[in-house]
Amino acid sequence: MATNVGPIYDPPSLAHPFGTDRLGDDILSRTMSAATLDVSITVAVVLLSVTVGTVWGSVAGFFGSWFDYLTMRILELLNAFPSLLLAMLVIAVAGPGLLNVVFVVALLPLPDYVRLARAEVRSKKNWQFAEAAKLVGRRPVGVLFAHLVPNSLRPLLTYASVNASQVAATVGALGFLGLGIQPGSAEWGSMISRGQDAILSGQWWVAGFPGLMIFLLAAAFHLISDAIADSRDQGGSW
Amino acid sequence: MVAARLRPLLRIVGAMSVIVGIVSVTFLVSRVFTADPVNLFVGNSATKEMRDQARKELGLADSLPVQYLHFLRGLLTGDLGKSYLTGRPVTADLITRMPATLELGLYAITLGVLMGVIVGVLAAVFRGSALDGVLRLLTTAGLSLPQFWVGLMLLWLFFVTLHVAPGPSGRMPAGMEAPPTITGLYVVDAVLQGDWATAMIAAKQLLLPVLTLSVGSFAPIARQVRSAMVESLDSDYVRTARAMGVSQTRVWFAYALKPGLLSVLTIAAGLVGWTLAGSVLVEGIFAWPGIGQLALTAIRSSDYPIVQGFVLYVAVLYVVIWALLEAVYTRVDPRLRS
Repeated sequence: MATNVGPIYDPPSLAHPFGTDRLGDDILSRTMSAATLDVSITVAVVLLSVTVGTVWGSVAGFFGSWFDYLTMRILELLNAFPSLLLAMLVIAVAGPGLLNVVFVVALLPLPDYVRLARAEVRSKKNWQFAEAAKLVGRRPVGVLFAHLVPNSLRPLLTYASVNASQVAATVGALGFLGLGIQPGSAEWGSMISRGQDAILSGQWWVAGFPGLMIFLLAAAFHLISDAIADSRDQGGSW
Repeated sequence: MVAARLRPLLRIVGAMSVIVGIVSVTFLVSRVFTADPVNLFVGNSATKEMRDQARKELGLADSLPVQYLHFLRGLLTGDLGKSYLTGRPVTADLITRMPATLELGLYAITLGVLMGVIVGVLAAVFRGSALDGVLRLLTTAGLSLPQFWVGLMLLWLFFVTLHVAPGPSGRMPAGMEAPPTITGLYVVDAVLQGDWATAMIAAKQLLLPVLTLSVGSFAPIARQVRSAMVESLDSDYVRTARAMGVSQTRVWFAYALKPGLLSVLTIAAGLVGWTLAGSVLVEGIFAWPGIGQLALTAIRSSDYPIVQGFVLYVAVLYVVIWALLEAVYTRVDPRLRS
């Protein structure tokens, strides 16, 4: 990407609709190129967490016994950690980087997915469709993954969408603290941190626009989740 | 019944084991996977002897299990070790900075809960109206706004542009003396001593950081209150109350709101942890000298004793709050008593 494409700290204008930062970089183009990064990290984190959480939780809920007991104890432990802090600690120790961020941030909502999947499967495993699948000779693993899990996805997906908006904010926060992908890279959080000092001298646009993007992304995920919830329950709740 | 009598004991044992687990994980993460902290003390040109000497002084020369035992023994006596950077005891550092964070968190959570309940009640009572729609938008925005960005934007708007709020100078403007300590909360201390001018100044300093922290916390409460209240407004007991001529406001607040308040309590308890984590971000922006800022500096400079102390402190607080909450629940909600 070209550097010094414009004057330093130029306010939003026709030439630079989002203005320029202290290096003269055009903020609109940086914000746009950051979108690829932030959106794909968010999606990767949620996919990873929802997959691992669903498999783990449904197996624990279906088979029970010691594995279920162990699962619940691990969840309690994970829950007691203040999530953002855990992420900061691990990344400070393991070093910034794309994969580290994805793995650590995916760990944070994992207990919620495990708990949701476990509860769904436990409540449905004695329903007739599961019994019927068992009677026609499905093996337990088949009953679980071909029948129970697909019928338990709605609450998981509703939550995944809410979670995605939290993930977008967490990724931004880590970038803001310099614990994100790579300090100084075109990522919304790091861009906000680059504009932090300029706020006090009045250049709001440097931090303003990237933050607005995080907000819009998070809000979009919330609206999706509302839509999923509304499709079940007409009107009424929000 | 032995089992029933043992239950509180089991709960305490359970909570203790969670805390021990947290302590162990934190210890492992910060000792095993890290760059050598000795590098912080000696320059690049240090000889091997100097390094060994430093290692011994820091207690890092022993094997890991021995270090772990030392660490646990220290914990039992309230000793969390010394900061690698300043050499001060971690416990003392946490205690000195605690009131700043407490003051911030206390007002932020109070404001968040108040706004949340008001928004939730209004939205439920005027369900389906334009006001309901506006409040829904506001709540979705509250859930989606990145905290640290809100802080920066509030600073720009109210300090830089409108000049109505003080800048990011911490708990007092530069050059101003803090009120003499009674509770450590500046506004409360100043009021207790009748010094209203100082109280106003301290309150102004609190304005933007508290607002920043509460923007995200009102939203989940508003949602919860609305949905609980919508349900109870449709219920038979509320209809009976109305039929018996109970006034409108009394129906709303004394009858319909009440069952939803327990769930507000749950969310508020969750907000404590959330606010503490948020303080790491927000205190940095407003130069607020609390434990969040302490933790952030420590993480950035690999000062692990401080990080450990902070994580431990937050985790213990968490476990204690949930245990208290459970006790309050069984007392308030008769259905849980059996």
